[in-house]
Amino acid sequence: MTSVAERVDRLERQWAERPGVLGWLTTTDHKRVGLLYFWTTLVFFGAGGVEALIMRSQLIQPNNDLVGPETFDQLFTVHGMTMIFWFIIPMTTGAFGNYLVPLMIGARDMAFPRMNALSFWIFLASGIFLYIGLFSGFGPDAGWFNYVPLADRLHDPSRNIEFYTVGLTFNSIASTLTAANLIVTILKLRAPGMSFNRMPLFCFAFLAASFGLILALPSLSVDLIFLFLQRNLGFHFFDVAHGGSSFLWQHLFWFFGHPEVYILIVPAFGIATEIIPAFTRRKMIAFPLVAIAELLVVFIGFGVWAHHMFATGIPSTTLVFFAGATSMVVIPSTIQVFAWCMSIYSGRPRFKTPLLFIIGFIVMFVAGGLTGIMFLAIPFDQQTTDTYFVVAHFHYIIFGAAVFPIFGGMYYWFPKVTGKLYFERPGQISFWIIFAGTNLLFFPMHIVGLLGMPRRVYTYPGDMGWTSYNVIESIGGYITAMGILALFTNLVVSYFRGAPAGPDPWHGPTLEWSVPSPPPEYNFAVIPTVSSAYANWDAEDRERDGHRLTAGVGTLERGHEQHVSSLIDGWTSEIVDMPHSSPWPILLALALSLLFTMLVITHYLFAAIFAVVLALTLLGWHGKEPQENG
Amino acid sequence: MVDVSVDARARERFPLGVWGIAMLIATEAALFAMMVGSYFYLRFKNNPWPPAGTPEPKIVVPLVLLGVLMLTAFPMWMAARSTTPRRWLLLALFVQSGYFAMEVSDFQDDLHHFTPQQHAYGSIYYTLLGADHGHVAVGLLLDAWILWKLLFGMTEFRARAVRAIALYWYAVIVLTIVVTLTVTSPAFAR
Repeated sequence: MTSVAERVDRLERQWAERPGVLGWLTTTDHKRVGLLYFWTTLVFFGAGGVEALIMRSQLIQPNNDLVGPETFDQLFTVHGMTMIFWFIIPMTTGAFGNYLVPLMIGARDMAFPRMNALSFWIFLASGIFLYIGLFSGFGPDAGWFNYVPLADRLHDPSRNIEFYTVGLTFNSIASTLTAANLIVTILKLRAPGMSFNRMPLFCFAFLAASFGLILALPSLSVDLIFLFLQRNLGFHFFDVAHGGSSFLWQHLFWFFGHPEVYILIVPAFGIATEIIPAFTRRKMIAFPLVAIAELLVVFIGFGVWAHHMFATGIPSTTLVFFAGATSMVVIPSTIQVFAWCMSIYSGRPRFKTPLLFIIGFIVMFVAGGLTGIMFLAIPFDQQTTDTYFVVAHFHYIIFGAAVFPIFGGMYYWFPKVTGKLYFERPGQISFWIIFAGTNLLFFPMHIVGLLGMPRRVYTYPGDMGWTSYNVIESIGGYITAMGILALFTNLVVSYFRGAPAGPDPWHGPTLEWSVPSPPPEYNFAVIPTVSSAYANWDAEDRERDGHRLTAGVGTLERGHEQHVSSLIDGWTSEIVDMPHSSPWPILLALALSLLFTMLVITHYLFAAIFAVVLALTLLGWHGKEPQENG
Repeated sequence: MVDVSVDARARERFPLGVWGIAMLIATEAALFAMMVGSYFYLRFKNNPWPPAGTPEPKIVVPLVLLGVLMLTAFPMWMAARSTTPRRWLLLALFVQSGYFAMEVSDFQDDLHHFTPQQHAYGSIYYTLLGADHGHVAVGLLLDAWILWKLLFGMTEFRARAVRAIALYWYAVIVLTIVVTLTVTSPAFAR
């Protein structure tokens, strides 16, 4: 009879990745891809942060000349693009989603492992592409929403906008691939017994965000294609003189752009709904309502886009409709806020660093949400449009509410990923520095916005009454940066000197805490069975997994095997062979990068050649069939 | 208590590859919805539509061609259910290639009368049709690829690939119906 050690040894051999750099270049393991996303997005976060600090240093005093207006234009544009497209989305869906979703649902990998690796390499190439533009003086410079006619060839004749259109198209492909992968993984690879009502709220959140990406990104892609065609081939989509409309850009952009806000923030909700139960030792209150609210907030997000256009002169009936539709977002948002607060209040909270970040997130989300409601008053919105009040509002949401849970999640899952405990006291100190710095940075922006300071100005006169607020904001920016440095210093030091964490230092509620830290390449030696949404708290089930491992039931050790489950109930419907490490994803991404680069420099012949190379790479990708693997 | 066997050897009715194609279709449908929405947005901003001096879109030829493309759903459906799908795929590929050749010829003919650089109507007209024809071209490449693979025999992977490609073609047909009706709509409105 085969022993447990022999089974585990066999799984280790079957799932082992190639050693060294080659192993990372050809990896299809969701954990490695998640880590690649993590490190890469951190680099982009650093770049976006440096851009923010340069802008704050420029604005710390009136009539400053640290950077000129052209550079400032590129800085705020690339800062916005970086933080949204190259940090928050890839950090949540790419890093947290990739690493954690399969572990939480009891799967051994993502549904499409090679596509997963492809999405990362395309994402990396898109970021390099954007920053080549910035460092060569051709960074996008018309704001992150890139309105025409400012961004058309007449007003922006250089190559800057091509780095926007092509870079973002490229990035959208990566995000779409990741989202499609997450959807199919969550719908089809759930552990036996994990029906929808037993799925972790984290997965509901990532499912909602992924559907949002799949359906919203095409609107941006169409906009980008139209603009590329207009700028480079003389088309007229946005050219009023030839029957086009500059409003078309705005409608298409915001039809993507507002769901995008929820795509950014819903994964943060998911992280909160994992950290709260772990540190309050109770299940989330109103579980089904929270699950529905996570989905609903993205769904409603598709019907509110024109509230970004209240000051454009569109008819007042339209304004009132969109103001009303926007107010509906309050309902699912409030359900979640009450559920988080009451779960903390009625539980036995341990105020460890991850929970502190979640409490900070709730405070910032409520504050940002309240200023958001203020924009529903159409005259108020028209008065404050393009002022720092708007900047304050969306930074409370995007930094306070979307990024705080990411920091909390870094601390929470650090022991799982590294096998080490972080240092608690420095962690708490880093939270308080970041919390104080963030509020110093963004709160005065409300006031200076109400005083009339427009956003996106590279400097301002000294007699406007804005100077002292700008000084406080800049100091807040430096303090926030120090807090973030303290956070990462703590994590780096903890990685080398932290105490061993063991598999479950928090007594966490979900399945990732049932496996060793860091998880083995095959994730689960035996495919777990599930009877509730808090599967790791079901001691009987986990004990039974141990017996099944001993008996060799559900170990799937005949190859690179993965179970596939039925859509609703999560019963196993098939066992499939999964692809293993492969060079094709990185090669395909390289071919695609060269194709896009040729498009930017308008070498269409070379673009066609690389399109052929791309097709050949795809043929190679499909040359070896899954049955021949393993 | 959960009582479940994870060693089931049954075949999934909708395999992962089909789910992957379904995701592609979802995002492509959203892409076309945005382009069709843009077409009508520009249409309602412009009167007359098409602009003066631009010929009205043809109706008869595009609708006949659309009917031909719709008919190819049958051999694709048969191929997806057959254990020997090659002949059905060949039949579909033959008709689809004919459709594509006719459409490309029609596209070139239109370019002699007006260009995408003339006005917004031309821009959106050619972009919509070009995107649709691009999807047909990808479908033809997929057909050719699977036919080539099937030369070396049938496997589980190839059977699933045929199903996934058939699903893609159904989606292309639906998208083509929407695009054709959109670009011919000014002629209907007279």
